[in-house]
Amino acid sequence: MSAPPNPTGAAGRRLAALAEGWRVYRADRGGLFGLAVLSLVVVLALLAPVLTPPAELDVTRAGGAPLRPPSAENWLGTDESGRSVLLLTWWGARMSLLVGLSAAVLSMLIGTVVGLVAAHFGGWVSTLLLRLTDFFLVLPALVLAIALSTVLSRGVLTIVLAIGVTSWPQTARLVRAQTLTVETRPYIERARALGGGHRHLLGKHVLPAVLPLVFATTTLTVASAIIAESTLSFLGLGDPAMISWGSMLKSAMDTGAVTAGAWWYLLPPGLGIAVVVLSFTLCGRVLETVLNPRLRGERR
Amino acid sequence: MGVGPSGAPRAAPRALLLILTLLLAAAVPAAGQSTRSASPEADSGGEVTLRVGIQQEFDSLNPFLGFSLASTSVFRLIYPTLTTYGAEDFSVVPELATDWKSSADKLSWTFHIRQGVHWSDGEPVTAGDVAYTFNRMMDDPAAATANGNYVEGFTSVTAPDDRTVVIRTTSPQATMRSIAVPIVPEHVWSSVDDVAEFANQRMPIVGNGPFIATEYRPQQFLTLRANEDFWRGTPNVDRLRFVNFENSDAAVQALRKGEIDVVRDLTPTQFDALRGAENIRRVRGKGRRFYEIVLNPGAANSAGEPIGTGHPALRDPRVRRAIDRAIDREVLVERVLGGYGTVGAGYLPPIFEDYYWTPPPRARRPFSIESANRALDEAGYPRGPDGARHGPAGRPLDFEFVLHGDSSTDALVGEFVKEWLSRLGIRVRLRPVSDNQVNQRTTAGDFDMVVSGWSVNPDPDYVLRLQTCGARPKPGGGGLPDSFLCDRRYDELYARQLAEFDHSERVELVERAQRRFHRMATGLILFYPNALEAYRSDRFAGFMLQPTEGGVITAQQGYWGYYRARPTEQARAASGGAGYRSAAFVIVGVALLGAVVLASVAARRRRTAEHRE
Amino acid sequence: MTDTRDEFETSAASTGPPPLLRFVAAKAGGGVVSLFLVAVLGFFLFRVLPGDPARTMTRSTPVSAEQLAALRHRFGLDQPLYLQFRDFVIDLLHGDLGTSYIYNRPVAELILERVGPTVLLVGTATVLAVLVGLWMGARAAWHQGGPVDRWFTSVGLTLWSVPTFWLGLLALMAFGVGVGPLPGLFPVAGMSSANVPAGVVPHVLDVAHHLVLPCLTLVAVIYAQFMMVMRTSLLEEMGAEYLTTARAKGLREDLVRRRHAVPNALLPTVTLIFLHLGLVVAGAITVETVFSWPGLGLLTYEALRVPDLPLLQGTFIVLAGSVIVMNVLAELVYRLLDPRVRDS
Repeated sequence: MSAPPNPTGAAGRRLAALAEGWRVYRADRGGLFGLAVLSLVVVLALLAPVLTPPAELDVTRAGGAPLRPPSAENWLGTDESGRSVLLLTWWGARMSLLVGLSAAVLSMLIGTVVGLVAAHFGGWVSTLLLRLTDFFLVLPALVLAIALSTVLSRGVLTIVLAIGVTSWPQTARLVRAQTLTVETRPYIERARALGGGHRHLLGKHVLPAVLPLVFATTTLTVASAIIAESTLSFLGLGDPAMISWGSMLKSAMDTGAVTAGAWWYLLPPGLGIAVVVLSFTLCGRVLETVLNPRLRGERR
Repeated sequence: MGVGPSGAPRAAPRALLLILTLLLAAAVPAAGQSTRSASPEADSGGEVTLRVGIQQEFDSLNPFLGFSLASTSVFRLIYPTLTTYGAEDFSVVPELATDWKSSADKLSWTFHIRQGVHWSDGEPVTAGDVAYTFNRMMDDPAAATANGNYVEGFTSVTAPDDRTVVIRTTSPQATMRSIAVPIVPEHVWSSVDDVAEFANQRMPIVGNGPFIATEYRPQQFLTLRANEDFWRGTPNVDRLRFVNFENSDAAVQALRKGEIDVVRDLTPTQFDALRGAENIRRVRGKGRRFYEIVLNPGAANSAGEPIGTGHPALRDPRVRRAIDRAIDREVLVERVLGGYGTVGAGYLPPIFEDYYWTPPPRARRPFSIESANRALDEAGYPRGPDGARHGPAGRPLDFEFVLHGDSSTDALVGEFVKEWLSRLGIRVRLRPVSDNQVNQRTTAGDFDMVVSGWSVNPDPDYVLRLQTCGARPKPGGGGLPDSFLCDRRYDELYARQLAEFDHSERVELVERAQRRFHRMATGLILFYPNALEAYRSDRFAGFMLQPTEGGVITAQQGYWGYYRARPTEQARAASGGAGYRSAAFVIVGVALLGAVVLASVAARRRRTAEHRE
Repeated sequence: MTDTRDEFETSAASTGPPPLLRFVAAKAGGGVVSLFLVAVLGFFLFRVLPGDPARTMTRSTPVSAEQLAALRHRFGLDQPLYLQFRDFVIDLLHGDLGTSYIYNRPVAELILERVGPTVLLVGTATVLAVLVGLWMGARAAWHQGGPVDRWFTSVGLTLWSVPTFWLGLLALMAFGVGVGPLPGLFPVAGMSSANVPAGVVPHVLDVAHHLVLPCLTLVAVIYAQFMMVMRTSLLEEMGAEYLTTARAKGLREDLVRRRHAVPNALLPTVTLIFLHLGLVVAGAITVETVFSWPGLGLLTYEALRVPDLPLLQGTFIVLAGSVIVMNVLAELVYRLLDPRVRDS
């Protein structure tokens, strides 16, 4: 990394770092592809209520014939209640993205707090948290998420909780490792010597240094959270009234779409998941490279 | 990929090839396999096996423990019962008992046991076996697990001689002619100390019925062979096999491929998809189930203390009847069941013609949002400024609707009901929960609306009892309530029908009980789903349905469907062409893939060789 | 993926190098504590929720209130929670996992029956995925940045992004049910057909025939992670000094790679494979569900639908427990085999 010739303080440095990051990011075609696809999907998902009539999602008002193959009227055919699969997939994107993002954010919050505390305070707190992290790390996440969503009442919140609570250990480990590294740096020592409290140290110095990496990991967590959501819904643990890609596939399987050869009902939601997850993964990988100079060095 | 020599470890691609070859080899049995499955069973000498796909587990082969439909239908095939239900119209017909009569005081029943019937190990079946079975259920709580309800009213069961059984009851019970308890051989079961821990899996299971269970692999299949000594005559098929499937899709595919002969519990989509399928005939039977919405009429326990969280407005029958008017059953049958069902009426399903009752025109509550709205206006539940109705005390009509979380039927019904009630100014919150929680909340009265449904036996006593005061839970918990209807007039009618031994008189009383139930509107019967089945018409010419009109093959109250299955000549000759075509495809596919692999290997060898030179 | 290795190194560095025995004891002890935690978690998770399994058990068949009460008593549901927990722990130590509601049989027995099929499916799939993954990973690292690398990486990532069950459903539809003129080549469900002639060879072939679709589905989804691990470690390895030395000694490039780089990269990769077993288990649950493969995953799904709490609890404990045991083993093996960690 060549130091930019811009000595105008922290703001300038950050701007320059950002520009440098974007330069690295831009160089990766996969990352650009992911970003483009994601932007498109997010915009479409946000605009769904504007562009499409939500009333047609209402099973009580759906007028089409059930399980019809694609036609001029319904480009992607209809589901077992006669609703347009295209419309369902479109709206399903909202729920899948929402659940994926919220679960990832929840996981990030838990992971960051646990990681920070474990690294910063040390002592028995740290030992305990580390053991806990290790424990959750090896616990098969899906199995635990299944258990949780069986126990709690059905709904979006449960799914988010089940995924968030089971996917934080990676983040916690990463944050802890990073915090340990950051805290050995001279400026932290200096801040500590100057009498900075825990809050000051963590908030002003450690967190900003750790956050970019957390951000990259979270992007990857979104990908796995979306898959986890679809899996839980598929296993029948979601709210059946909620339209997500996973619940669409669940209904498809339940109503016998496989037997009926209703490929138009199976393909769109699955492709939706695949495309979005792939995009998040691609973005996450590039972000990791951009934000973690050590990795960047390795990959070169 | 002409990048030159592959530096990757040599062993890996070779291992890969090996594995690929192995996988392909694994595909080869597809060829042999499907040819074989075309000659089903590899039966030699023209034997026929009837293979039935089931999607439920045998929860136990012990007749004292098994609850599941899969298990109870097997018990009917391998153990005798005193009486059974005829195939034509569910009338009670002799089985192990040749005839029966009740005493003048209606409290004592004498059954005469058929002569010359033997258990499959050669021992004779006697009245002693019958008395033993009932006494064991009365004395041993574990033996009462599955069928204890049948012996509840018994005071004694004795066998004065080998051919006579006398049962005394505490009160007159019309249900005594249809005791569906499997009779077990005393000489086998008397050595079983702990019924609860006895799996009854030693094959062949000693029994007496049209079939004898011979091989059981849990969660895979259960095989039975025909009992050549069955007193009614040898079954038409030589073997019967129940094959477990985890989902109905898999079972349907197996049917299409000819791996099984009968499949049951089809979804409407699957049933439609099988229309016109080669060598497959579909059977649309009337179902034994009813599907209802229970409106909490103010749940109370057997001591009369209110329990649960029911909304006060639902205690008003006028509100319940208004809700009933706002449900369009025609639409539900069409949209939820794909048309495969009957619109809900009184209580008991139409498969039981005698007891089926539909409200007369003036008692009927046809779908009409306007009249429902008017009824609520008149009953004193005005709309607020936001359009939401509220009760006299100001509490809004806001109901929690508890649904089975894994049921797509419930989900759809919930959506429709929510939408219709919203037009009445009633808010419905859907609460999909696990089956356990549905049950728990139902028993505790913790619901405003809840989905319920029962399979009805040919004798309606049991489901009628669900709506009596006696079905309410005890203060300490327990009990098996359905709609918490506790109505003096209904209970009186219930008690009278139970004591009425004259069939037509009893039918009259049962109809009046249903009328009362309909009037009280605590349970809204939405529909009776059809039982959808299909079978291989190239292997079976038909089955004896129960009932003859609109009946089913598998979900019978008897063994007629399996016992009187009619195999085709083709099945007897054990020839068929179904599998050959796919076998040919597999062979061609394997050959092609093999060629591709070989070619690529050769190319790679050459390239490597060139490089080395 | 590199984080885990960091962790190994930092933990070794921070506690100092303990004698091997102490290390083994500590790891095994940690494993036992984790197992116990799993059991505790398993118990409380599945007991706190309200529900009346007794009625579920009877499946709406005609039973009396007394029969229900007897059932509740039999399953110990009428006892206070702490007593239930005490019995649970005692039973667990005796290998008794309770009695399933739906099958009315001991959970341990049910699970034992299902272990075989799961091991067969997961084992075959893992071995295949590891072989394919390692081979592809090595190729990709070799041709880093080249078309091979790009293709392998993007195909792997794409398959990795696909929900396992969806891939399974598609495979089921295409190769089990058949699309268009293509007939179904493979069985759609189960592990064996009922109508196979007796004998070992037909049975093995039959099972293999059933195994193809679920196994390939699982392989397709999980091989990518092995590929990426191998690629990364090989890339790290290739920068190492001893390779330069080896090259300087005049060894041919492919020999350098085969004899030095690959074996060294293999070790961390193979041990890391164990750490990813949780994902394989997750995949197995959905694949077994789609293909009705009679293993632990399917058992979990069956238990879920009711929910059959003792059974769920049993599969939870067994699945989580086996992953924990595998991890402990992996760490021990890593410790024993890796010269860098061993000698430090």
